[in-house]
Amino acid sequence: MMLRIFFALCSLLLFTTVAHAQNRVTLSGFVKNAQSGETMIGAMVRFPDLDISASTNSYGFFSVQVPAGTHQVEVSYIGYNTIFNTIELKQNVQRSFEISNESKEIEEIVISASSRPNQVKSPQMGALKITAEEIKKVPVIFGEPDILKTIQLLPGVATGNEGSSNFFVRGGGGDQNLILLDEAIVYNASHLLGFFSTFNSDAIKDVNLFKGGIPAQYGGRISSVLDINMLDGNQKEFGVEGGIGLIASRVKIDGPIVKDKSSFMVSGRRTYADLFLKLSNDENVNQSKLYFYDLNAKMNYKINDRNTIYLSGYFGKDDLGYSDQFSFDWGNATATLRWNSILNEKLFSNTSLIYSDFTYNVRVNSNDNDFGIASQIQNWNLKQDFTYYGFNNHSIRFGLNALNQTIRPASLSAAENTSVNSITVDTRQGFESAIYASDEWKVSDRFSMIYGLRLTNFMVRGPGTFYDFDDDGEAIGEQQYGSEVVKNYLNLEPRLSMSYLLNGNNSIKASYNRIVQHLHQLTNTTSSLPTDQYVISSVNIKPQIADQVSLGYFQNFANNGYEFSTEIYYKDMRNQIDFRNGADLQANNQLEGELLFGKGRSYGIEWLLRKNRGRLNGWVSYTLAKSERQFDQINGGEWFNARQDRTHDISIVAMYELSKRWTAGATFVYNTGNAITFPSGKYQLDGSTRFYYTERNGYRMPDYHRLDLSVVYEPTPEKKRFSSSWAFGVYNAYNRRNAYIIDFRENEVNPNITEAYKIALFGAIPSVTWNFKF
Amino acid sequence: MKRFFIPAIVLLLCQLLTSCEEIIDINLNDADQRVVIEANITNFPNTQVIYISRTVPFNDARPREVVTDAEVQITGPRNNTFQFVYSDQHQGYINRGFTARENATYSLRVIVDGEVYESTETMPMPVPVDSVGMLRENIFNDTYYFATLRFQDPAGVANYYKYNVSVDDKPFKFFSVFNDKFNDGLYVTHQIGSVDDDIEMTSKVVIRRQSISAAVYRYWNEFQSTNPGSAAPANPTSNISNGALGYFSVSSETVYEFDFSTYQEFSIQDTSE
Repeated sequence: MMLRIFFALCSLLLFTTVAHAQNRVTLSGFVKNAQSGETMIGAMVRFPDLDISASTNSYGFFSVQVPAGTHQVEVSYIGYNTIFNTIELKQNVQRSFEISNESKEIEEIVISASSRPNQVKSPQMGALKITAEEIKKVPVIFGEPDILKTIQLLPGVATGNEGSSNFFVRGGGGDQNLILLDEAIVYNASHLLGFFSTFNSDAIKDVNLFKGGIPAQYGGRISSVLDINMLDGNQKEFGVEGGIGLIASRVKIDGPIVKDKSSFMVSGRRTYADLFLKLSNDENVNQSKLYFYDLNAKMNYKINDRNTIYLSGYFGKDDLGYSDQFSFDWGNATATLRWNSILNEKLFSNTSLIYSDFTYNVRVNSNDNDFGIASQIQNWNLKQDFTYYGFNNHSIRFGLNALNQTIRPASLSAAENTSVNSITVDTRQGFESAIYASDEWKVSDRFSMIYGLRLTNFMVRGPGTFYDFDDDGEAIGEQQYGSEVVKNYLNLEPRLSMSYLLNGNNSIKASYNRIVQHLHQLTNTTSSLPTDQYVISSVNIKPQIADQVSLGYFQNFANNGYEFSTEIYYKDMRNQIDFRNGADLQANNQLEGELLFGKGRSYGIEWLLRKNRGRLNGWVSYTLAKSERQFDQINGGEWFNARQDRTHDISIVAMYELSKRWTAGATFVYNTGNAITFPSGKYQLDGSTRFYYTERNGYRMPDYHRLDLSVVYEPTPEKKRFSSSWAFGVYNAYNRRNAYIIDFRENEVNPNITEAYKIALFGAIPSVTWNFKF
Repeated sequence: MKRFFIPAIVLLLCQLLTSCEEIIDINLNDADQRVVIEANITNFPNTQVIYISRTVPFNDARPREVVTDAEVQITGPRNNTFQFVYSDQHQGYINRGFTARENATYSLRVIVDGEVYESTETMPMPVPVDSVGMLRENIFNDTYYFATLRFQDPAGVANYYKYNVSVDDKPFKFFSVFNDKFNDGLYVTHQIGSVDDDIEMTSKVVIRRQSISAAVYRYWNEFQSTNPGSAAPANPTSNISNGALGYFSVSSETVYEFDFSTYQEFSIQDTSE
């Protein structure tokens, strides 16, 4: 049924292609970086005298229709020099443009580096774009540039615990963010319990975050989409770059395989904290492990002017071990094979075959315990996306998506003669298929919109045993299924985003989206752990559904030198998941009985002021928000604050170019403490003091604030090819003791008295990194 | 399962963290008082004490508010009732003639200020221990001592165990509960003691081992799985009605005494090499 609709749509569009073209011609092609040949995502191609523009898609491709004739065309990209061209268009023309961010080698007419003029004009709202250059400039912990730490400084995005790369968008949960690396789903985006993200910024081209008005081509997570694109590899020449830091070192190699036809990129990173353990004279300690590494690789091959193939992959692993008695490793792997095809100058196609997984393994071998625990979550994903540029003032995207999701929950395999039994927990499988179509329509000079629909079907598949539960979570019935469909969920997800241009520099926008989520992460600690169990929608677990409306005002000042935006939103979330007290989430075939289902709502207002040009760059962001949950069995059925609910959240990021060689950076954050459950009394049991809790998340952690500083020194290169820089940083510069944990205990001297104490994780932490490039 | 690797992570972090610890003042609300019932009945032939109290504010100088005027009664398997009366000496309610038996069902009924709190429990069969020993482990250059109890876990039934420990004649404290989810029917070793306990080579360790019911296990397991990293700490689920805090347990108990100094010559297992 879905396929039939899809093919009907395809043939309709292919047919109209022929019917439509008359005295208009199409200019299509790619926008590339002049130095590396990397395709540029979201670059603008504009005809100023016609007031017609188009932006490049995720593969750097654009297509735009204009009346035949000779026209001025300008091509721009954030931080790059805008180029102007005069182009004669008698018939359809395919042409690529190269733009540069280096001021010296420009032949064409140049104005100063451009900003993001389309934030005002584009109907898309709730979207933020960050380039790799920006990520590298923001000071962060341990001197490691980090995408996830940088997006936490944007409005509407809250941090998890201190130093954590977990993030929460507009009051949503940490598992409600769709994190894509070259289209592959990344399940666990953090290393070392969250202090680092899995994204090595050397390998990243750009990052797009959608918080609201999420386009129809995305689905599966209800709060946000973080779409990360890896670099393709330099098409023109070989390059090596890297860095040596206190915690980790990195190296990247890229270059052409066949010049202007094929290129590759390989980037790796490893921490070496464990090397210090080797210095210990305790055998147990010096045989211990504590490290992580990442490997990103990508290559592409241009078959001809119309077809290109990309192959990209990521592999990362954390390894933790104590002596030979205990080891614990976890990591993600992704692989993406893509085929870009320009079917004709108006129809762009991309076909992707994607694999991704996340696994963890525990090995225990001490005393008479000898066993292993293994868990895996994986998916295979086939995507077909089309973009059709054939209609005037419309750009139409449509496609389909088939994703097979498999969860192998932690199972225990014990050796012979050990004091534990092997336990196997049923594998769960779900098949998610979706078709979507959306149209970006310029209705008039001032009014434009993106409207779309996504139809998602989720099949819970056997084989397996499925249970029914009573209100107390006790199993009251079970049913065996073979390889058949156990349950089917069909959902329609409308998406809409509109903008109205008040004058050339300001606009108002409104959006609505519904999104459905079928994969759920069960976290019962304040920091998410690699061992957190995942579940898919099933008989008992209904899909999470979010409806979000938002309204915004956008304005650019001083010839796009400054940009200002404010957005107000309301999000309604259904079928949210929490647990019963003392829930047994490990190796439990009746896990679903431990879950509670409720609803959530969040609302807030966000302000962002950015300065894009000049010696001083950066932004100020402020969020005023509320996020609540309601479960019949929690807090007496009353609404309570979500843990990540923060009333105020402020970030200030400033980068200042002191001279050609010295650049200084500073980041200041302030936020209301997380909502938390503290005791409201005490009693005594079994001779010890116990704490009496009355309401869920009724208290607040103390306010959090912190200042980070950095200085980058780039000496004038001695040789032409080789350049290097030193990055010095201080995390938490004024040594604020922010509370990481607050707990309660009996006083050591007089056990009748109880006291509260806090633990701070990090004081001021200096860092130094040496970066090189040749 | 988390038990196996969280300690390793926590140990690593603790080295970083302990220096950053600081006593703070927090303004906590004073909630309405709740009744707390601790009725830990065993087959052990000594005086059984049931403690009844109320919660007190966090900053109160008293650890609890003792209730002296409750009506406390246990009904046995043949509908025989035992009244428990308040004793100043015990700060709780006692009945000297009462002993619980294996496999028998008992009902607790407590009346405080006209409110009735009830619970019913059956004493599980004891699981005999067939050898005891000691264990020495080296963890990050420190030596720790543990008492070990070995026994055959009965196959095909869910068994739950609770341990309370007294070190060097200090009062008994809750140590841990275990279930047999991962080792049903196997020859099991329970290792008693933790890195927080100051068990030394010269310590005298007394262990009370109870075979408990699923409901009592649940109560204590919820208690022991609450830590500062928990998403939302809550009061453990009580098996007593009407919103009372605390629990009613009827268990078979065995007491084991370890004099570590007499053990060291012959039976300490050393895992440090």
